[in-house]
Amino acid sequence: MLGHNLAKGFIPYWAANPDQPGAEVFNHTAKVVCSRQLTTSPWPNTTIALYAAAAPFWYIAGKRIKKMLSMRMVPLLSVFAAFSFIIMMFNLPLPGGTTGHATGAAIAAIVLGPWGSILAVSIALAIQAIFFGDGGILAIGANSFNIAVVGSFVAIWVYNAVAGKSALTASRRVIAAGLAGYLSINAAAFVTALQFGVQPMWFTDANGAPLYAPYGLDVAIPAMMIGHIGIAGLAEMFITAGVVAYLQRSDVALLSLTAQKDAESKVDGTWAGTRRLWVMIALMMVLSPLGLLAAGTAWGEWGAEEFADPAARQAITEASLGATPPVDSTPEGLLTLGSWFEAPIPDYAVPFISNEVVGYIFSAVMGTGLVMLCFLLYGAIADRFRNNNGATN
Amino acid sequence: MDTIFHLHNVVYAYANTADSPALNGISMQIQRGQRVAIMGANGSGKSTLLRILDGLYFAQSGTVEAFGHTLDEAHLMDEEYALPFRKRVAFVFQNPDVQLFNPTVFDEVAFGPLQLRWDTATIRQKVNDALDILEISHLKERAPHRLSGGEKKRVAIASVLVIDPEVILLDEPTAALDPKSQSRVVDFLVGWANTGKTVVVATHDLDTVPDIADDAYVFKQGHIIAHDTPRAILANHEMLLSANLVHAHYHLHDGQTHSHAHIHVGHQHDH
Amino acid sequence: MGGEAHHGKRRGNFIQRTIDALTETLERSLYAEQFSEQRGLLQQLDPRVKFVSMLGLIITAAAARHVWVVAAVALCALFFAFISRIPIIKSFGPIWLGMFIFSGLIAFPAIFITPGPTLATVPWLQWNVSAYGLQSAVFLLLRSEVSITLSFLLIMTTPWMHVLKSMRVIGIPTLVVVILGMTYRYIFLMLQSASDMFEARQSRMIGKLPDKEARRLAAATVGVLLSKSFQLGNDVFLAMQSRGYRGEVYTLDEFALRRSDYVAIPFMLLIVCTGLWFGLQ
Repeated sequence: MLGHNLAKGFIPYWAANPDQPGAEVFNHTAKVVCSRQLTTSPWPNTTIALYAAAAPFWYIAGKRIKKMLSMRMVPLLSVFAAFSFIIMMFNLPLPGGTTGHATGAAIAAIVLGPWGSILAVSIALAIQAIFFGDGGILAIGANSFNIAVVGSFVAIWVYNAVAGKSALTASRRVIAAGLAGYLSINAAAFVTALQFGVQPMWFTDANGAPLYAPYGLDVAIPAMMIGHIGIAGLAEMFITAGVVAYLQRSDVALLSLTAQKDAESKVDGTWAGTRRLWVMIALMMVLSPLGLLAAGTAWGEWGAEEFADPAARQAITEASLGATPPVDSTPEGLLTLGSWFEAPIPDYAVPFISNEVVGYIFSAVMGTGLVMLCFLLYGAIADRFRNNNGATN
Repeated sequence: MDTIFHLHNVVYAYANTADSPALNGISMQIQRGQRVAIMGANGSGKSTLLRILDGLYFAQSGTVEAFGHTLDEAHLMDEEYALPFRKRVAFVFQNPDVQLFNPTVFDEVAFGPLQLRWDTATIRQKVNDALDILEISHLKERAPHRLSGGEKKRVAIASVLVIDPEVILLDEPTAALDPKSQSRVVDFLVGWANTGKTVVVATHDLDTVPDIADDAYVFKQGHIIAHDTPRAILANHEMLLSANLVHAHYHLHDGQTHSHAHIHVGHQHDH
Repeated sequence: MGGEAHHGKRRGNFIQRTIDALTETLERSLYAEQFSEQRGLLQQLDPRVKFVSMLGLIITAAAARHVWVVAAVALCALFFAFISRIPIIKSFGPIWLGMFIFSGLIAFPAIFITPGPTLATVPWLQWNVSAYGLQSAVFLLLRSEVSITLSFLLIMTTPWMHVLKSMRVIGIPTLVVVILGMTYRYIFLMLQSASDMFEARQSRMIGKLPDKEARRLAAATVGVLLSKSFQLGNDVFLAMQSRGYRGEVYTLDEFALRRSDYVAIPFMLLIVCTGLWFGLQ
């Protein structure tokens, strides 16, 4: 799946950069590319880490859904997972002559709520990996975390933030859904790109040759994001907005599940109950670089070990920025993009880490944490506001 | 007589159509060993009735008694009550895809006995017997999506037959089946009813009614509009026409237009 | 998630493409299932033994730090396929090719842009082939191929419900296994309804559907499926309840280890341990 994403990310990237050597080849090869997810070579540590990251969400989601649906959980979840699986197979024509696949995580989150969506989409991904060879068994945790967990939460946040308390049939909800789809898939892609981009830093053999994904953040992020900003994001946007528009016309009750729940949850605590968890996660993310500083040695060890060969590190960093050989073949586009993505880093770079790329990860993690905190703060203020209104009415 | 179901003034409305209840004041009694046909057009309330009888929906007003006890949600929460009830009453749904939710035919047929906590040896024995009776032993390992419509229906019947219920409820058992599968299902039902079991069939397929029932109700918009023997019901064209079970039929006879109810059960008409 | 570059002939007919994708999925599972009934070596083994062995080999290939270990696991997989009477080229050829193109797409640039000693230079283009780049590209490709081959080997030699049930040995709860099974079952029902819906549309279609219409149609189809899902889920729940389901699912445990399994277990264990030992050196 990750490989698939990256591959799909690369195709439009090269298509958009015809000057790049090899663009010719890729543009031809792309014609043979069929519309499937694929197994990528997983990297054990990240794989395990992401299983561990997805597990608490699966656990909480399981608890909540069981409480909500009780005995109905088994059949409903199965059917919705089957539904998620089917959506992933739809091949959607996009403006500009491309086609794209959606994950369906955003529409699932809007209709079922984030927890139901996490489970349904994760199950669909698991079935894909186990029985259809799409995505790789070891990557189920990673795919679920990125697509199901990150995708569902970003989708429901964006959808509720934009839709607000508008009527279920308001066109504002269609726009909210489109945005939710677009941003959620891009968030998922970004998280995936981060996981990709750290591979060559963490996993190399004795000589410094990458053992797993060979590209650094500076290549992985643009390659991945261009594909998603341009194509996959549109597919998710169209399908999410289109389905909400369709449901508004023919089965509006389905939209009321999360909309009402959201309105009620300010009281019944569906969202408030997990808020503490989210605040903790966000704080941990924000504080992670400080933790690194404080814990010093313990965390620093991996740095020493993995970056044993500073020359090689330096070479990789430079090469991936396009500053070292093969100089002749360095694409203009890559260089520009590299520096573009690099641009915000110096400001955010964590000073005590000399390696900018590592600093970049922490900046990204911190940034994500800050965004989450903002959302939480916004939610808390909005609640206070609504509760006050409710009290006076 | 041994009354199995006793309904008094049962009302049931779906949430979105509260003003026109699916069942609107239904009273009826079903005796042990009876073969009852519930006839009605789509939306007349017959499927809802079967779901009430199976303890899947609960009357919003009125009372339902099964086997001399009140059948309601509170009672079915109690396992001591629920499991014996589930063992005594079985339901064959109209859409076999709804009923076949297990990975294989064998698992499907074993599902009921497993939930009733029979021991493994008994389960294997009973499942194999049921598969033999329905002549589907060769499909044992087959996944439901690899079955034909007729095969699915037979698996659905096997999956309820296996627990040897006293009452079997069937929703449109012959719908969407080819003629051969239809007659197979009818033959099976006739044979099975002859063993003294109670059968309640909801259907709009008039052809099969005389074969499978000795008592018939006609439903229209949640009301019972007729209750008689199947023969008498089928003879009442006016009533069948008003229940939308038959449709008026216009054609030419010797240059003259006339209309009559379109019906083919033992009423061949020559042109 | 993802999008792809798109081209001439097939453009416009998204309905046909989606139907193709749906039927291909159905056919793939049919094709895979037919081998599970053959009398080959892997088919003889207990599904639990197979499941854990294949998982072990996938992990070995994923963890290995040497290309030759990954290659050895690949040979191992081919050997298993051979003695399980699976036509290797016919079954795996298309899968490998697809994988080669996709992974190759990712791996190819790495050959040139990864820093490392230069092995050769491509004439005319003046690109330097880096040793490390080549190695990492081979790694990427080989690992992907091995992983997909092993997982297909498992599902081709084992009826899928046995694969599901055997997942319990690695600690996956029964409830999850039941849900996975039911999901798989209803995927086929929904594949059918989706392709019926598309085919009905297709038969009424004259000429090419404009993109905008096509997107609307896709969204409407998804919407219909979603409405149907709620209906289906609730009906299935009634059908389960009617047969005594009360929230717990009881299932039969039908596997029993046989003599061949007792031979296979130490053998597989040896392969995996050896692989891990050399791979992690």
